[in-house]
Amino acid sequence: MKNFKNKNYIGLIVIALSMFLAPSCKKNSLTITPPSNITPTDYLVEESQLGAYAIQQYAGSTSVTPNVGGILPSHRGVGQFTYGTFSLDAPTDNAVGTAQDNRYAPNLLLVPSGTNNWGFTDIYQCNYFLQTVIPRWKAGKIAGNAANISQYIGEMYFLRAYAYFNNLQNLGDFPIIKTVLPNDAAILTAASQRAPRSEVARFILSDLDSAAMLMQPQFDPGKNRLSKNCALLLRSRVALYEGTWEKYFKGTAFVPNGTNWPGASKSYNAGYQFKSGSIDNEIQYFLGEAMTSAKAVADAVALVNNTGTIVSPNNENPYFSMFSAVNMSGYSEVLLWRQATSTLFTHNVPVYGQLGNDGIGWTRSLVESFVMANGLPIYAPGSGWAGDDQITNQRTNRDGRLNLFLKEPGQKNVLVNFGQGDHETDIEPIPYIYMSSAETRYTTGYAIRKGSSYDGAQAKNGGGYTGSITFRATEAYLNYIEACYEKNGSLDGSATTYWQKIRTRAGINPDFNVTIAATNMAKETLDWGAYSAGQLISPTLYDIRRERRDELFAEGLRYMDLKRWRAMDQMITTPAHIEGINLWGSQKNSYTASQIIYGATNNNSVVSDPALGTYLRPFEVKSSADSYKGVRWIMAHYLNPIGIQNFLITGTGGDPSTSPIYQNPGWPLTAGSVGTF
Amino acid sequence: MMKQLLISNKARTILVLLFLLFSYTSFAQSLVVQGVVRDDKGVIPGATVKVQGQTNTAVLTNVSGAYKINASAGAILEISFIGYNTRQISLKDFKANQGVYTIDVDLETSNSNLNEVVVVGFGTQKKIDLTGSVATISGKALEDRPVVNVLQSLEGMVPGLNITQTNGAFDSPPSINVRGIGSISSASSASPLILIDGMDGSLTALNPDDIESITVLKDAAASSIYGSRAAFGVILVTTKKGKAGNVRVTYSNNFHYTSPVALPKSVDSYTFALAFNEADANGNSAPIFDAPHLQRIQDYLSGKITTTDIPNPTAAPGTIPQWADGYAYGNDNVDWYKTSFASSVFSQEHNLSISGGDAKTTYYLSGNYLGQQGLLTFSPDLYKRYGLSAKINTKISDYVSLNYGLREAREERQQPGAEGAGFYENLGRQGWPTLPLYDPNGYLFNAPSFALGLRDGGLNKHQQDLLDQQLSLVIEPIKGWKTIAELHYTTMNYFDHSDSQVTYNHDTAGNPIVSSSGSSVSETAHKENNYLGNFTTSYEKNINKHYFHVLVGSQIQSFQYRDVMASRQGIIVPDLPTINTTSGVSATGLVVPPSVSGQYQDWATLGYFGRLNYSFDDKYLFEANLRYDGSSRFRAANRWIYLPSFSGGWVVSKENFFKDNVKFMDLLKFRASYGSIGNTNTNSYYPTYITIPVQSANGGWLVNGAQPNVASAPQPVSTSLTWETVKTLNLAVDFGFLNNRLNGSFDWFDRKTLNMLGPAVELPVTYGVGVPPTNNTDLKTDGWELSVNWNDRMQNGLGYGFGLSLSDNQTTITRYPNPTGLLSTYIAGQKTGNIYGYTTLGIAKTQAEMDAHLATSSNGQTFFGSAWGAGDIMYADINGDGKIDNGANTLANHGDLKVIGNNTPRYNVGFNMHFDYKGFDMSAFWQGVLKQDYWAGGTVGNNNNYYFWGITDNVYFSTMLQGQQMNFFRGDPNDPLGQNLNSYFPRPIFGTNKNHFSQTAYLINAAYLRLKNLQIGYTIPGAVLKSIGIQKLRVYMSGDNLFTITKVPPQFDPETISGGQTGDSGRGQGNAYPLTKVISFGLNVTF
Repeated sequence: MKNFKNKNYIGLIVIALSMFLAPSCKKNSLTITPPSNITPTDYLVEESQLGAYAIQQYAGSTSVTPNVGGILPSHRGVGQFTYGTFSLDAPTDNAVGTAQDNRYAPNLLLVPSGTNNWGFTDIYQCNYFLQTVIPRWKAGKIAGNAANISQYIGEMYFLRAYAYFNNLQNLGDFPIIKTVLPNDAAILTAASQRAPRSEVARFILSDLDSAAMLMQPQFDPGKNRLSKNCALLLRSRVALYEGTWEKYFKGTAFVPNGTNWPGASKSYNAGYQFKSGSIDNEIQYFLGEAMTSAKAVADAVALVNNTGTIVSPNNENPYFSMFSAVNMSGYSEVLLWRQATSTLFTHNVPVYGQLGNDGIGWTRSLVESFVMANGLPIYAPGSGWAGDDQITNQRTNRDGRLNLFLKEPGQKNVLVNFGQGDHETDIEPIPYIYMSSAETRYTTGYAIRKGSSYDGAQAKNGGGYTGSITFRATEAYLNYIEACYEKNGSLDGSATTYWQKIRTRAGINPDFNVTIAATNMAKETLDWGAYSAGQLISPTLYDIRRERRDELFAEGLRYMDLKRWRAMDQMITTPAHIEGINLWGSQKNSYTASQIIYGATNNNSVVSDPALGTYLRPFEVKSSADSYKGVRWIMAHYLNPIGIQNFLITGTGGDPSTSPIYQNPGWPLTAGSVGTF
Repeated sequence: MMKQLLISNKARTILVLLFLLFSYTSFAQSLVVQGVVRDDKGVIPGATVKVQGQTNTAVLTNVSGAYKINASAGAILEISFIGYNTRQISLKDFKANQGVYTIDVDLETSNSNLNEVVVVGFGTQKKIDLTGSVATISGKALEDRPVVNVLQSLEGMVPGLNITQTNGAFDSPPSINVRGIGSISSASSASPLILIDGMDGSLTALNPDDIESITVLKDAAASSIYGSRAAFGVILVTTKKGKAGNVRVTYSNNFHYTSPVALPKSVDSYTFALAFNEADANGNSAPIFDAPHLQRIQDYLSGKITTTDIPNPTAAPGTIPQWADGYAYGNDNVDWYKTSFASSVFSQEHNLSISGGDAKTTYYLSGNYLGQQGLLTFSPDLYKRYGLSAKINTKISDYVSLNYGLREAREERQQPGAEGAGFYENLGRQGWPTLPLYDPNGYLFNAPSFALGLRDGGLNKHQQDLLDQQLSLVIEPIKGWKTIAELHYTTMNYFDHSDSQVTYNHDTAGNPIVSSSGSSVSETAHKENNYLGNFTTSYEKNINKHYFHVLVGSQIQSFQYRDVMASRQGIIVPDLPTINTTSGVSATGLVVPPSVSGQYQDWATLGYFGRLNYSFDDKYLFEANLRYDGSSRFRAANRWIYLPSFSGGWVVSKENFFKDNVKFMDLLKFRASYGSIGNTNTNSYYPTYITIPVQSANGGWLVNGAQPNVASAPQPVSTSLTWETVKTLNLAVDFGFLNNRLNGSFDWFDRKTLNMLGPAVELPVTYGVGVPPTNNTDLKTDGWELSVNWNDRMQNGLGYGFGLSLSDNQTTITRYPNPTGLLSTYIAGQKTGNIYGYTTLGIAKTQAEMDAHLATSSNGQTFFGSAWGAGDIMYADINGDGKIDNGANTLANHGDLKVIGNNTPRYNVGFNMHFDYKGFDMSAFWQGVLKQDYWAGGTVGNNNNYYFWGITDNVYFSTMLQGQQMNFFRGDPNDPLGQNLNSYFPRPIFGTNKNHFSQTAYLINAAYLRLKNLQIGYTIPGAVLKSIGIQKLRVYMSGDNLFTITKVPPQFDPETISGGQTGDSGRGQGNAYPLTKVISFGLNVTF
């Protein structure tokens, strides 16, 4: 206190007070806007931003893991350690995985309790874009090249259509939502009303019309981005899907206004009127649209050449290498493909292509559906079929596609860069039907080489980088043929030409009438597609379906086709059996006794009992397995059950029946229940 | 001054220092004072005797309580010892005998820990005056623990302060909470505020030796003065500062051997193969190890063959094949855990501090080095810490003093790039004993070898510098009026380096073949600026028995960070992994654009606060706090919040009626507090702004070989977001018995977190996007804390003590948007941690037993799966509805599910005991959780934790470890592994997890009690040391995590049971980097 001076004292008070007050001058310092993030008003205002948004939706809307998922199918999208898109045929009569799917076990497929099978995530991504961009575009507020802007907008219409088509296939009737909806339960509940499936299909076609109009024929020469032809191809697929579905399910609960159609139980759908007046008109409309769109693609895109060569390091067979090329842009038929590089988005398709297809086993049904090169079915008198004792017999004088793509023991799998891959299978082994792991197992004994690469360097575990086809124009040829016949009951000139072109390229007698004349439907019962609604179909229609199957197998369209053809009813009463190679003929001599132990009650058995037949039945080895009873079906399985939580959220008082959503036919409103019919 | 200069110049060399001190003390000569210091029970060793005014002269009493000190005539001696009132004795009152004074001193025990001063928000308070819930730990309690960071030694120390370490890796420090769950929000966090000398800090970067004390503010009354970041408690660390007196040099070191606490052990390759084959057979599939393969495995085990693999059997003739796939063909016998983790590694730590000063200026300087080696074998993981701190406190004038503090902490980590969750997973699920480690040529096996990536695949390096500076001006112009202006400025920056290198496989001829072709270097630079200004002014006054203390202040804090990342492919020379020496070309010749990113982020808070303390006669205590806080994270309309708190206390033991009647009790005090705090810790810095997720060159769909720019729809937000509030009620009693040798306190609390940022009401999925969080969720956590200590010294000089800290808390959700009552998420009214499961009837021993069970229900257990047989689980139909299922999986209808347990850790306990006798000391510290149920079988719906079950549905997500996992059902009397009908586990089946649903039989008791630290030391008697100038020298041995009592299966560590790979639907949960057992020795010397 003795050094105390008045002056200092006052000075200190001033300093102190100013420090106290200083923060209050900075009140505005608490207003902080994100310094390195973009807000919505600043984005989607310029061409390249539209492109960036659109391309993200191809592979997936989740920014965290851009390599997985996505709207469009591709090898990597299916999963790094899978057989990529070539695995998507399983489980059908074309191919199966290592265990039977519950899809074919009516006592095991259950109504889920969560929000399963009812998703709008991809649709939201598309709607946000369209709702934000279209008004700006119309107002001329998007900077950049007009053609590019319209391309990107077209892509988003396409992607929304694709997302909707997935829902159409899985669920049928589905809410049509075109805008971003507010965070309001009442509005969202109202928006949960399911539009009848024909409306959904028309909505998809309309989006694809926009897409086809806005997208350029060849915006990206590398074909990594969508084009007008993609839109037209998808449009024909969707129209054919809906046309044939409504035709075969006509009158049932699975089409609007059919008997017990669940939509009729909701006031908003009661008394529904088809746009065209009747379901028959509707069918004609969709099939007609399918023809129009398919023709536009088929006429514009030529098929690639098939030299018939299977193995050659230097002399390329474009039809073979198209499915496994690192760069697919040069193949006319490829409309869209996803690229991989050695460092980005690699997959394991080449490794599995060289070995047992990751446990995806191809069926006797598929192999026997291929005709002989002369056009005759294998059972036809004078067909020249060499039998099926050995795999090599199956390939002899057959459809060139089977010859190309069915693997045979002793064949070369690697032609260049030997030893570069740590998981090479240079020489095709005897099918490892006795192996356990999916990675090595030949589930049925039959494996294919569609998508196989002869490059040893591709056979690095998880490190393959062949391209992945998403759309192939050949489908348009087949869509046209089928739509034409389904619509008119006959084949027109275009259909005839297309069919001949496909057969010629496949290496079979282009005269399809030879095949039709020799087709005996009673001998085609292994092919589920020989049926519609439990009845065998006509030989002509069957051969159209057969062509489609044999051209497009392993490209992920089989289950879609089987559903729209209503081709599984016959298994409601009579189970089908998944079969592979003819094991108990001479083929059994390729194995040691311990490799083919059998016996329904033998704990060590690995193959089916010869008492069940000479063909390997991979799911009928032990009687304790549920799949021992064969492949069964009920009608409910044509559409997926909607998860019960969806009903509870949109209903009141925990009563699912108060929801505007109605369950699909045959599925109860109770979680954990099985289908009822 | 001279001496100080001398010492600071030579401080680096301890020997010189020793010499100097020795020579100095030898010439200080005058009178000698000697005697014995004792209390009413006996002598007191270790008491300090010093001469007042002579800062450099102080001695400690020896084990017999004797002291001997030089003093000049008329000097005043000061005798002090912790727990006793300090006494001053003037030599004038005594007579010397031939220049020697003999003075025995009796010390009285003080109400020591009551008069102890405790650091509280913006000031200190006497412990007796505390009304909030405050716990303290002295730096001494943390001394000489061989830990990597101070968090590890805090575990179990303070009731209510919960430290959990679920992973032993250097990059996963323990997590910390005060009083249990504060928030279940996914949009905000509830971690306590950690302040080191008033500024946000990192406890992992702190040198434990610098800690003077740690105060934990647990309730709202104690922490609300710190405002909106202190909602879930505050941990105040006060670091050491200089004391007036002679130069004091302390050196301590610690050398330790670290080994894993528990490593799982793999079964041998043949047993493994048989077990896997059995799972295949049960799953109706072919055996994965066929007969020739099994034969090779046996041959290798018996030494008949020495090759671990065969050449690729499908290689083309005439080519050089690679080795065959290790899973399909390998026949090695490797224990991957044993191979990957070392059994023991060596590390060391050194600390040096120098402090001193005079009446005007004091200083403290310290340096610390810790070099810790991790357990990985193929490529070392390392952690190093360098610490430097300095504090200078000086009085500018009589009423103004200036304090400056500086703390620099550098942390360095190195890890192989392949370490991480994926690595633990590989060890667990892919570390098949048959997978070759080395190929027959002696190279790490070609593929897949996770050892190769670990050894050669590149390194991650992290170097972090934290520089904290603080300057404060303290003005006290008149007694009682104190004004403090304080500025903190902390910069933290780190550089992360990671390189991935091309690795090489070797074919059967030993030629290298590129395995992982991607080589790249990635560098990240990150910088944080944290500016904090505090201004407080306070006035205290005693008027008769009334005591007032008023404090007002303001606080402004601004935090900014920025970072820059660049990465480029193509390392040109493997030994030069820098961006400059990358080519930008991938291994396959593609030009890959470099990947770059950078961002700025900031937030700020501003607060005004005031506190009023009033007490009457130290009997009736009252305190009120008010803070007005604003946060940049909310929009202007919702930005500001008032945070009031009140507390009061009644010291019953000061009442005459008590004093007169209750003799055995020295202290009885009741406390109560209530307060409300807002929480601003939203995970997003700008939770009210919608932003577009934009990523450059990062698309998954390549366009012309390159990754395109991508963007997607923004996540909606709720712009009306506002504060979460936390309201805490605390009731407590403090007590002391038997001369305060027994003392403790008991706190009960109830903490409500209101308006948490919860998920919005579940909306129809037509919304199509994640529903933004809003303020709509409440929870309540209540519990209690007990701490009891006993400290005593016996007549014979044996000092001993026990301390118990015990706490418990449970959380109840009181509001949550789950109208359908789904069990898969939170439900209002339910306790957190409930484990729903089925009731296990048992394992069917025969098919007939199973069939009989299936016949009792209408759905025959098909809810779980099909193909039921001997060795499968029989689930009970507990609701008697004739079927066994989960109903609607809702609270109203949960079928046969019931709550089978609760995974909340209950009764967290810490128990310490210590003894000292004639220089020897021993202490033991136990920590544990006394009650916890745990479901280790995997997440609901997946049930696929291979680390628990061994074999799950998927062959590549299965394992077989020694002990429990082999104890699975084997029905066949001829089973090659032996029949096992009374098994623990059901039969293993690939292809299904039907036996693995959450159920009573496999609920784990995760309670444990662990000997966290055991320490034995010897303090060499002062008489011996004094001659060489050392005041105190202690040598010790210490062990951490030496012993655990628990019932968890042997592959688990109860602390890491929830760690490891948890993202992959719970697979591999508990399979984490092991915690470590440490044996150390070291010395602690004071000059």
